[in-house]
Amino acid sequence: MASNKLGREVKAGERVWLPLDLIVIRDFAGPNAILQFEEVTGGKGKVFDPERIAITFDYQVPAKDEKVANNQKICRDFAERQGIKYFFDVNAGIGQHVLLEKGLITPGSVVIGTDSHMNLLGAVESFSTGVGNTDIVAGFILGKLWFRIPQSVKVVFNGRLEYPVTSKDVTLFFVSEFGGDGANYLSIEFSGEVIDSFSLADRITLASMVTETGGKIGFIVPNEEIKTFLEERSRSKVEVIDPDSDANYLEVREYDISDLEPLVSCPHVPENVKKVRELKGVKVDEVFIGSCTNGRYEDFKLAYDYLLKVGKEFNPKVKVIFTPATKEVTLRLLEEGIAKAFVEAGGVLTNPGCSLCTIGHHGILAKGEVLLSTSNRNFQGKLGKGSYVYLCSPLTAIASAITGEITDPRDLL
Amino acid sequence: MAVLRGRAWVFGDNIDTDLIYHGKYLPLTDPSEMAKHAMEYVPGMEDFSKRVKPGDIVVAGRNFGSGSSREHAVLCLKYLGISGVIAESISRIYYRNAINNGFLVLECPGISKKVKTGDEIEVEPETGRIRNLSTGEEFQANPISGLEKEIMEKGGLIEYIQSLIER
Repeated sequence: MASNKLGREVKAGERVWLPLDLIVIRDFAGPNAILQFEEVTGGKGKVFDPERIAITFDYQVPAKDEKVANNQKICRDFAERQGIKYFFDVNAGIGQHVLLEKGLITPGSVVIGTDSHMNLLGAVESFSTGVGNTDIVAGFILGKLWFRIPQSVKVVFNGRLEYPVTSKDVTLFFVSEFGGDGANYLSIEFSGEVIDSFSLADRITLASMVTETGGKIGFIVPNEEIKTFLEERSRSKVEVIDPDSDANYLEVREYDISDLEPLVSCPHVPENVKKVRELKGVKVDEVFIGSCTNGRYEDFKLAYDYLLKVGKEFNPKVKVIFTPATKEVTLRLLEEGIAKAFVEAGGVLTNPGCSLCTIGHHGILAKGEVLLSTSNRNFQGKLGKGSYVYLCSPLTAIASAITGEITDPRDLL
Repeated sequence: MAVLRGRAWVFGDNIDTDLIYHGKYLPLTDPSEMAKHAMEYVPGMEDFSKRVKPGDIVVAGRNFGSGSSREHAVLCLKYLGISGVIAESISRIYYRNAINNGFLVLECPGISKKVKTGDEIEVEPETGRIRNLSTGEEFQANPISGLEKEIMEKGGLIEYIQSLIER
């Protein structure tokens, strides 16, 4: 991919300066980048190209306090002053998902952003990566950035998943196989029968949690259906990039995962993965379905269909929070009655955004409380000092919301 | 890059970005304010920022800095006066953010079991050689090389690109 961009062969380990197709800042770290840019350029700097910068608000939207409001204003003023082309305010949703829906991400595009889960866009073969604000400032000035070409590992998932096993269970299996730093500095190429059957939402779920193994990016080659989606959204012809037939992989790992069962990641590190049935009986105080990992329409549809099938309401002792990834997802959940069913069952529907993943907005936990979440991190104290977070699929989440304890979704069927 | 000498603070595995710098302080934009919250969520280290001395060195187990892309997690330690981090492994984004800010990070397998909090250690960034002056033991870290070394020598990425523009 880098070879295509630079018009010459590059090797793993080589440091290269790659031109950036899109630089994305959010209401998180975006203000820091803007203040740093103003300082470095003496307040007079112009960004290299205002048409290749996007600002997406998803962090604590709408602003939850004065400091956040002020930070968002810094971004709005900057967008206006610099003539930034792509600006999405507090109503739009999670940045990566919004950009994807707006057709701004295509295979081979090089994207940086102030979000460690930027790399979920590897799900459509974009080289997208999370960076700090200093990289953003360098990008604003130069329009390019340094990268160390990663070594590649090929991961093949063969077999067929049996309902109610989902892409999130595959994802947690992947995280447990590699561990928290097992893919550090590496690029992963996912393929195999299971991946071929994955929807865009499934692919995003898997690619998003490459971050939790330290990986730089997880690439998945788009199939025809996803290629069509990208062409419709970008209103342009899309070329997918097939891996070199003679690619030199650091390692190839092949798995048959037909007998995979629902998994859960236990406190306080994502790699701490167990079978859901091993956790049977653990009481839950809160359930969250959403995040950049599991906030797409398909994730909620899965949960909704399961709820209808099982035909129950949520346990009244459990706070059940639903956060769609984007405005587009929200509208579809409203139109199809899915949002109504969740609220009627006792749930809370929030506006699109990062929701629980950014502390201080929705659903903070009290000391000792347990959250079962479809998001991607369960770090100690992240959602409240002394609380416990477990990560799971939307189906394990909805089954547990019904019973009030961690529940294997197969048990209610 | 100068040789560093300082007192070690030893941490375990998986010291993630929320333990180093909790998400609730992300709206802060002033690095000296960020410094007050360094390591606050590591159990038993709530007052870390008050106990450290300038020049102290953080030693940690595997997967240091995993998680968020927040640069606050580098800046809080840098502005607290910590001179560098030596860990068994360092998460990718953290490593990059550190280099971009001219903050020394070295990967040294086995180090966290061989150094105790309070030990005096000496680090040669050029060679990756580390000495525990309290025990006399020596260790070899992966030295910083290539473009990362050039960026470090200029003091960070912004200083590096400014030097390119001026040249």
